[in-house]
Amino acid sequence: MTTPAVIQTSLKGKNALPLRPASQVMDLERLGALHQSRLSFMRTTVRHIMRERWQIEPSRFELDADGYGTVVYEVQAPHGLFSFVLFSDYLSPEERNDRVIATQWDLTMALVEGQVDDIYLQKLRENVPKQEAGRVDARVFVLSRANRSARNFDYVVDQLAKGEQPATDKIAKVGYLYRTTAVYGSGKLGMADWEKVRTKHKDFARPFAGEMFVCLMLRNFSLLQVEHIAHHKSPDNFQPMAAEIKRFFGIGNSTGLGMAPYMVNHPLLLNQWIEMRELALARVRVLGRINDSIRQQLNALITRCAQYTRDTYTEDQWQTANNEQLLKDLAALHTQTSASVTSWDELLNWSEENCSLECQELLVSVLLELYPDLVDDLEDYQNAEEFLDLDPVMPLQQLKDVIETRYSWALSTDFDKDGALETCWYRSEEKMEPRLGSIADKEARQKQMALGVGYAVRKCYNQLCEYMGDNGTHNTARFMVARPKMRGIVRRIQSMNRCVYGDIQANLLDRNVLPMHLLRCKLAFFGVGKFDPRSRLWVRNTMFQGAPLLEDIGQPFNDDWFMPLAPKQ
Amino acid sequence: MHISMNELKAALRRCFEACGYFVGNYEDAANMVLWLEKHGLNGLNELEQALPYITQFCDRPLSTVVYEDSTSAIIDSHDRSSLNCIAASVDLAHAKALENGIATITVHNCHNRMFILKALTDCGRRGISVAAYWQSGNETVTEHSAAIRADERYPSYSEAITSLPANTDVKALTIICSSRVDLTTSLQKSRGNIDARHISPAQIADNKNQSVEQGINVNEALWAEINRIGSAVLVENTRQSQLEAGGR
Repeated sequence: MTTPAVIQTSLKGKNALPLRPASQVMDLERLGALHQSRLSFMRTTVRHIMRERWQIEPSRFELDADGYGTVVYEVQAPHGLFSFVLFSDYLSPEERNDRVIATQWDLTMALVEGQVDDIYLQKLRENVPKQEAGRVDARVFVLSRANRSARNFDYVVDQLAKGEQPATDKIAKVGYLYRTTAVYGSGKLGMADWEKVRTKHKDFARPFAGEMFVCLMLRNFSLLQVEHIAHHKSPDNFQPMAAEIKRFFGIGNSTGLGMAPYMVNHPLLLNQWIEMRELALARVRVLGRINDSIRQQLNALITRCAQYTRDTYTEDQWQTANNEQLLKDLAALHTQTSASVTSWDELLNWSEENCSLECQELLVSVLLELYPDLVDDLEDYQNAEEFLDLDPVMPLQQLKDVIETRYSWALSTDFDKDGALETCWYRSEEKMEPRLGSIADKEARQKQMALGVGYAVRKCYNQLCEYMGDNGTHNTARFMVARPKMRGIVRRIQSMNRCVYGDIQANLLDRNVLPMHLLRCKLAFFGVGKFDPRSRLWVRNTMFQGAPLLEDIGQPFNDDWFMPLAPKQ
Repeated sequence: MHISMNELKAALRRCFEACGYFVGNYEDAANMVLWLEKHGLNGLNELEQALPYITQFCDRPLSTVVYEDSTSAIIDSHDRSSLNCIAASVDLAHAKALENGIATITVHNCHNRMFILKALTDCGRRGISVAAYWQSGNETVTEHSAAIRADERYPSYSEAITSLPANTDVKALTIICSSRVDLTTSLQKSRGNIDARHISPAQIADNKNQSVEQGINVNEALWAEINRIGSAVLVENTRQSQLEAGGR
């Protein structure tokens, strides 16, 4: 059984498993090549729902013939009763905008503790559709909104109304009926704080579990809604959608720069996610027994991944080139594994020498699929207490050594190089939206967020060396009294030194920084697929494609919806 | 107005950042205010009193160590608010206590000392016991003490109105810190003390549970002022700026 002590001894000390080094894993480009895995939050959310047989039933279903109105689902989970409340409103095409600055949406939703009575529903009705312009109370713990994928939505309604099924090759291109444009939790807009969710709502006490659940419910509602509208449109000809086609619909997502600061501002949490993923890989590397059945599964998964990649549609040249390279690498990997695999260590080493980062990381995700028994119990260890504590007694020589060892990447970065400090991250007065500008903009430069960790470490190191010239025997506390401006970065350095993986190893102030890598890393931990960058600043992707339907709860479940393929028609 | 703790923390961080607090300090300051409010000790009232002076506190000289030996130190905070200087003093006490078992730090010329409670609590969580004592008030003198045992999550806090004559050094604070001895404090029932109140760690824990369950109520004018100050870290929404956003 996995316990915190088992995890600690597997990560550090004499009994530690062979983890990949931080210099490899925390490289930004590699983080930007991650794929979904068994430990992604969508997968763990669905596992819990299916294994615990959550009861999810509509308690209010008030939609007109066009699908507008109010729907409330009651969700009976093992530790509590919750309500998923959804408002569907008319939105004209010209008002449909996926940006965070939008003010109206097709659907708005809330996840609420307990049952919702008429009075409370009215209160939600007055606030949830307004999103940022509204206020809710601490009974609500997730708020979200979504916009229709207009072409797909109308097409699917028309097909069902005609008594025909939607074409799966069309769904493979755009695999959703709605796109979420924001999913809020953690106390935004007056909602319950994460501290309450974590301590009181055990069913959602894993990172982003509530947020993922809302997206899953949105996906299920979208399927219900198209059938509802089609049925009213043509009651005589209407045919419901086939279950296997329904499962191939996910939920679209647009993710912009907002996620990037989150990754830098929650280093202990990110480290925890990475540690669990790497620990899972290390377990497989050492303990994963290889036999013919496993080899067969491996090859089937590689074939599936190749088809999934072929089905991934993007107009972005950079991502297209990555996908083409991935397909070549997967073909080579397939050749390699078709011969005979006897050691995961050897196969992983081979991939590092012969494949792109995308393929190397996809292989990691595939290996995790093969050994649920070695991997799945780590899902309970993805939370982190986010205390960046100063170690006041640490001698300055030790602090210097820590910087030289753990932040050698920062010390070796040439910050005097042209463009090394050109990017600045700032918040706009428009909904405090994070934006990425140039230091040429004086206001943006002056008001930039403190995301340049590498540069801050470099400055701290310089000041530390200078201070140590006269005060070499001092400890960190004494240095902090003399150099209080260094407090934030010293605390971070010391705290991240206590972790296996630590900080993202990249200069985020560089002119050529690709925020897309940060977005993709977080989205991979969420469990999304079909990455479709729309610029270097935002990406479309698909959530929950292939996941079980609400009607599948209580049915046999093998948790095999990794890289889902279009059903055959 | 109802707000979440996370909203309060984020708004306070922007507020202190806008006031010129350094990275590390603005997080500390926001956490200090939030901690008091979350634990039922009126952090927002304390902040409201400090707010008119908040930018001035940043312009003062940095704290200096006036005297130091292995178990004690005297620090002059040069009329700064404890919001942007006290954490370093508690860290120094913490380090000396770890090295020598027990340490005393006296801080002079420090405002808003109530905010020290968050820093004390961090010490307790990390296995160090701390006690603090201070007086305040120019005419009516109040006295205050707080303490936390090693490995505890909540401190105790006592305050009383005294009949002491106005002290010339009303901005002083004494911190005692130990890695060996569990320190507790309660104000003596001296003849002059009136309206003494003692809040136990259990009461503070109860207050926290209530805040976690229901969030926080804030005076709308104060909330607007915190956000108004914090808006100085936001960049004007120009056409160029819109091009620098993620999204279509």
